[in-house]
Amino acid sequence: MVDFDQDKVAPEKQPASERPLPEKAKRMPGMYIRERVLIACAVLLIALFGFTAFIARQYHHRIHQYADQWFARGEAAMNEGQTSAAINDYRNALVYKPEDPTFQFHLAQALARAGQEVQARTYLTNLLSEDPSSGPINLTLARIAVSEKNNLDAVRYYHSAIYGVWETDPLQQRWEVRSELCEYLLNHGNVQEAEPDLIALAQEVPMRDVGREKTAGNLLLRAGLWSRALSEFRAVLDTDRRDPDALAGAGRASFQLGDYVEAVNYLNRLPRDKRDNPDQAQMLQIAQQAQTMNALRPGLRISEQARRAENALSVAKMRIAACDKQRRETLTGAAGAAPDELQKLYAVMQQNNKAWTFPGLSTHPDQIPSAMSFAFQAESAATKLCGPPRSEADKALSLIASKHPGQAGE
Amino acid sequence: MSETVTPQPSSTDLPPAGAESLFERVRSAWQAWIQRIFGEREDQLFLFLAVLIGIFGGLAVVCFRVAIDWVQFVLLGSSLYPGWPRVVIVPAVAGLGIAALVIWVFPRSRGSGVNQTKAAVYVSNGYIPFDTVIGKFVVCALAIGSGQSLGPEDPSLQMGAGIASKIGRYLKLSQSKIRLIAPVGAAAGLAAAFNAPLASTLFVIEEVIGTWSAGVLGAIVLSAVSSAITMRYFMGAESLFRVPYVQPAHPVEFLGYAVLGVVGGGVSLLFTKWIAYARPRIQALPRWTHFLLPAIAGLIVGVIGIWFPQVLGAGYSIIDQALHGEFAWRLLLVLAVMKLVATGVSFLSGTPGGMFAPTLFIGAMLGGGIGAIEHHFFPSITTSVGMFALVGMGTLFGGFLRVPITSVFMVIELSGSYTAALPVMVSSLIAYLISRHYQEVALFDMLTRQEGLILPSIEERREQEAFLVEDAMRAEGAFVVRPNEPLADLAKKAEAQKELPMLLRVRMGEWRLLDGEDLQRLANDGTTPHTASEVKSKGPLPLLFPDESIEEAMRWLGDWPVIPVVSRADLGQLEGALTFPDVLKAVRKAKAE
Repeated sequence: MVDFDQDKVAPEKQPASERPLPEKAKRMPGMYIRERVLIACAVLLIALFGFTAFIARQYHHRIHQYADQWFARGEAAMNEGQTSAAINDYRNALVYKPEDPTFQFHLAQALARAGQEVQARTYLTNLLSEDPSSGPINLTLARIAVSEKNNLDAVRYYHSAIYGVWETDPLQQRWEVRSELCEYLLNHGNVQEAEPDLIALAQEVPMRDVGREKTAGNLLLRAGLWSRALSEFRAVLDTDRRDPDALAGAGRASFQLGDYVEAVNYLNRLPRDKRDNPDQAQMLQIAQQAQTMNALRPGLRISEQARRAENALSVAKMRIAACDKQRRETLTGAAGAAPDELQKLYAVMQQNNKAWTFPGLSTHPDQIPSAMSFAFQAESAATKLCGPPRSEADKALSLIASKHPGQAGE
Repeated sequence: MSETVTPQPSSTDLPPAGAESLFERVRSAWQAWIQRIFGEREDQLFLFLAVLIGIFGGLAVVCFRVAIDWVQFVLLGSSLYPGWPRVVIVPAVAGLGIAALVIWVFPRSRGSGVNQTKAAVYVSNGYIPFDTVIGKFVVCALAIGSGQSLGPEDPSLQMGAGIASKIGRYLKLSQSKIRLIAPVGAAAGLAAAFNAPLASTLFVIEEVIGTWSAGVLGAIVLSAVSSAITMRYFMGAESLFRVPYVQPAHPVEFLGYAVLGVVGGGVSLLFTKWIAYARPRIQALPRWTHFLLPAIAGLIVGVIGIWFPQVLGAGYSIIDQALHGEFAWRLLLVLAVMKLVATGVSFLSGTPGGMFAPTLFIGAMLGGGIGAIEHHFFPSITTSVGMFALVGMGTLFGGFLRVPITSVFMVIELSGSYTAALPVMVSSLIAYLISRHYQEVALFDMLTRQEGLILPSIEERREQEAFLVEDAMRAEGAFVVRPNEPLADLAKKAEAQKELPMLLRVRMGEWRLLDGEDLQRLANDGTTPHTASEVKSKGPLPLLFPDESIEEAMRWLGDWPVIPVVSRADLGQLEGALTFPDVLKAVRKAKAE
């Protein structure tokens, strides 16, 4: 076993520097000095800490003052429409409160309004990384994407805004954003993409909120969702029977649904100035014509059906004749040549000339559907060969045909 | 025999027993603690001091930052874009005050803080006069606050170093420690100024000390961290810039970063050459002109500031805006040029202040400009302009200040993400190589040399190749003798190779030097058969490995005429032998080459 003690040097042989010091002299010579310096440092540190705390407090107080002053100036400039001045003020505010999300958001909004979308987006993306569910940030990003024609991002951000967090009146905010999204999609012809949001929009309209019901109704009309649009306008009319916008919307929806009686009813209730609007006037005329020509409407007496069918047939004959004239061809066709569709229809008409009169149809009401089907086919063939109908009667007949696809295809 | 009676104290004279014991206990505990900390191991004290220095440095930098901003509020107002009369008048008039202060009151406040800290380490045994700290504080606060295009980091670094030096001297530390205490303080100052303790630690190691000594590293890290914490306590934890979210770069984009590296390297070179050329000429101007130079610089900066107020001061807010892509590419590039001019003029005028912030500013503008141009032409493949601005900061830092490692870590630390690490590595390295190739001496070294001081260049030292044992040893420098080798054979060998030492391999890892004379004596004595083990020998010899430094070998060469160089894999395998003349010969050869 190794005896480690043998390595020990006897005290008297140790060099002076290694000899153990007497108890009192054990400390290093400079130790007392160091002790005092340490105490002095501690005192100085406390004093300096206090001083720094004081000036830092004053400094932060001043910094916050500046930040708030500049922000207030920015808000004022923004409200006055001075976007460029507002941007400068917001930037100044951000110098003093660089992490303030409100300042950053307002600067981003100002930048976006000034057309500096790239800069605005940088701020907003940064803010979004901190608060991904923020409704306002997503909405602003969506608007930037719209201005940059980035459809994918626009829809994504709009949806994030709809399902995002809104601090004040979230239901109303979400409804407005969804409405904006629907408007955007319809403007770009994305009707199918807009449909789910339009339906949700209609469902989320608060009770008795006439303005929103009308907005939803109009958007539904633009998307061709007639019955839902009609419901919205009817809801408005339940509150105010004379609301002109609702009457016009309901009239159009009814018209498109083929309910000409209702359409005429709504359109007739419009104030004169609204009714004189060319679109409304034309729609009213067509609706009235369609009302008088539709022999297939259930519940009519046989004589009325026969009268309407005869009326429709005469309109169809005139359309065939006009189209023939336009084509400069004879309805009987050239000898040996195969007859075209219009000529075939003319031949059918000649064959049924006697049966498809008022007395004939009144006596044989079973012929009424065939007569109407012929009239629809005539309109369709004439449209194919000579272009869309011009007269209100032809338009009405085409409209009735579109509501009875089974009859038109016979 | 008379008996001496010791008078007994009455019960009223005695302190209460419990109080006395508590007091004594506290006192003895305190003394024991003091004894342990200060009495025995200075290393412990040094680490403790690092924390103390860090806190002091942090407090000083907080006060300095507040002072700069107060001066700015008072002189230039609170707007980012002050009105033109202020912009022109304030820096010029403040320049007169700065000149007076620098020439009459604080002459030591001139010059680079980095160099003065290096000088403290290598020249003045860690001594930095405390009036330098005060001078830097006062003059730089006035200069930067009044709009001179300089930054607060370098003065902060020096203030930290000055405070550390003062504390070290008061505590009567040993010479070796007091020499190292200035860099510890420098790290504290820089960490607080940048709010980036990691980058600051690296900077001090990369630029000031140049070594990764464990003892110093620990102290530097401690001081940087404690300083940054102190600063954050008072000023908040936010970094200097709000770095926006940065997306990872597409591989093709690295071409863009390479372009940024080339441009950044060129700009760094241009800036360094300009300073190298103009500084001695300006310093050689008559003394009276030095009273006017800061004012003239202020006037030039002010005139630039009429159109480009962004160049005034350190410009952190403007860097922030560039990071958020708020400027068009033309403005970014113009700002880079204007800031370069303004900074050069401010620095050359002798106004104290740092180059760190302006370097970051120029880099951010340059990077943002190049990013914006690329974004314009290739909108689909470039990420944000902010990312380029961020990388640009690191690029200029690497190219101009020639601290490539710090630049990478600084960007990582400032951005708080590793996303920018690869781009900045590419860009910064290119800039560094260009700058290094065309400007042999780095900025800080150049400045000291212009002042007639030859401090060791950390960059040169970093690039020096180590002189190793294998560079000096002779592969056939000795012959190996086995213990059982017959002496007759050995004597013949020795006769044939008289000049070579004989190394006896006793066992694995134990080598001895055979005595040639004794060998001959025993060999001539033909009575009994002899083996090598019977010959007198010296040893065991110390061993060297081929990859060890010559410094390590020199420790032994004084005591032994030859040292065996053995393989690390087999201590019994001789790779060569090293003698003092071998070392001398190798050194001469290396110098000649």
